[in-house]
Amino acid sequence: MHNIENQRSQFIRPCTRVWLGLLVLTGITYSIGKMELGGTQIVMLVLVITFIKGEMVAGFFMGLRKTSLLWRAIMASWLVIVGGGIAIAYLIGLK
Amino acid sequence: MSTQTLTLDSHKPGTPPGDLAIWLFIYAELLAFGVFFLSYAFARAHNVELFNESQQHLNRESGAINTVVLITSSYFVVRAVAAIRAGLSRRCAHWLGAAIGLGGVFLVIKLFEFHAKFSAGISLSTNTFYMFYLSLTIFHFMHVILGMVILAAVMLKARRGGYNAENHTGVETGASYWHMVDLLWIILFPLVYVIR
Repeated sequence: MHNIENQRSQFIRPCTRVWLGLLVLTGITYSIGKMELGGTQIVMLVLVITFIKGEMVAGFFMGLRKTSLLWRAIMASWLVIVGGGIAIAYLIGLK
Repeated sequence: MSTQTLTLDSHKPGTPPGDLAIWLFIYAELLAFGVFFLSYAFARAHNVELFNESQQHLNRESGAINTVVLITSSYFVVRAVAAIRAGLSRRCAHWLGAAIGLGGVFLVIKLFEFHAKFSAGISLSTNTFYMFYLSLTIFHFMHVILGMVILAAVMLKARRGGYNAENHTGVETGASYWHMVDLLWIILFPLVYVIR
């Protein structure tokens, strides 16, 4: 029973909050798509939301928040490079 | 190191949960998908009107529902890991079964989407947008299938009592792969279905 309580407070509850947060952020992203909103600011907002969702999954679900800096940095770098590249490509497309 | 810490996490401090090999595989997969995502983005930059027009024919609701489905299945896998860390292997197997079920829901929704597109005569050669849309989503689709096979193998072993609170690296390994599948869709959805 002690183990189950530890799991609830240290692992399950934070991940439940992350799950709910991910659903809310998905709802925001979908709403932006549904309204067919575009433009630089909207796209940057969508990319920031996507970065936050990626960090939430990597940090809490995958457990990277408790790992060394190197493991976290690789994942964060991937998210930044992919998200930044998409942003740059979008800006190029505006010209 | 305290006994409590050993019970919560079976891996070495500072390293991610699961087998180290799966993490090398995960980062290799992220690299491959990253190149794919950027190729899409830069191809779009040179065909903005075509991509925006073609994107309007996608079923955005299906994409959003599938995002919710994968996020929730990922959460179920989190619960499976929590269960086995507490030594509850039957409960772990049940959570994994639920996650696999949601993986199946994802595949069915995606198959309906593919069927609608193929029935409309759309193929890889229709235009650049559909070439990327179909190849990206089919590539991801295959990863979902592989993830479900891995989770099923882990579930069967958990049901037989093959894992416990001290030894559950296999559960964490399968979980890490499934979360990667979820993470990739979290980027794929806004990139292909939303950004315009």
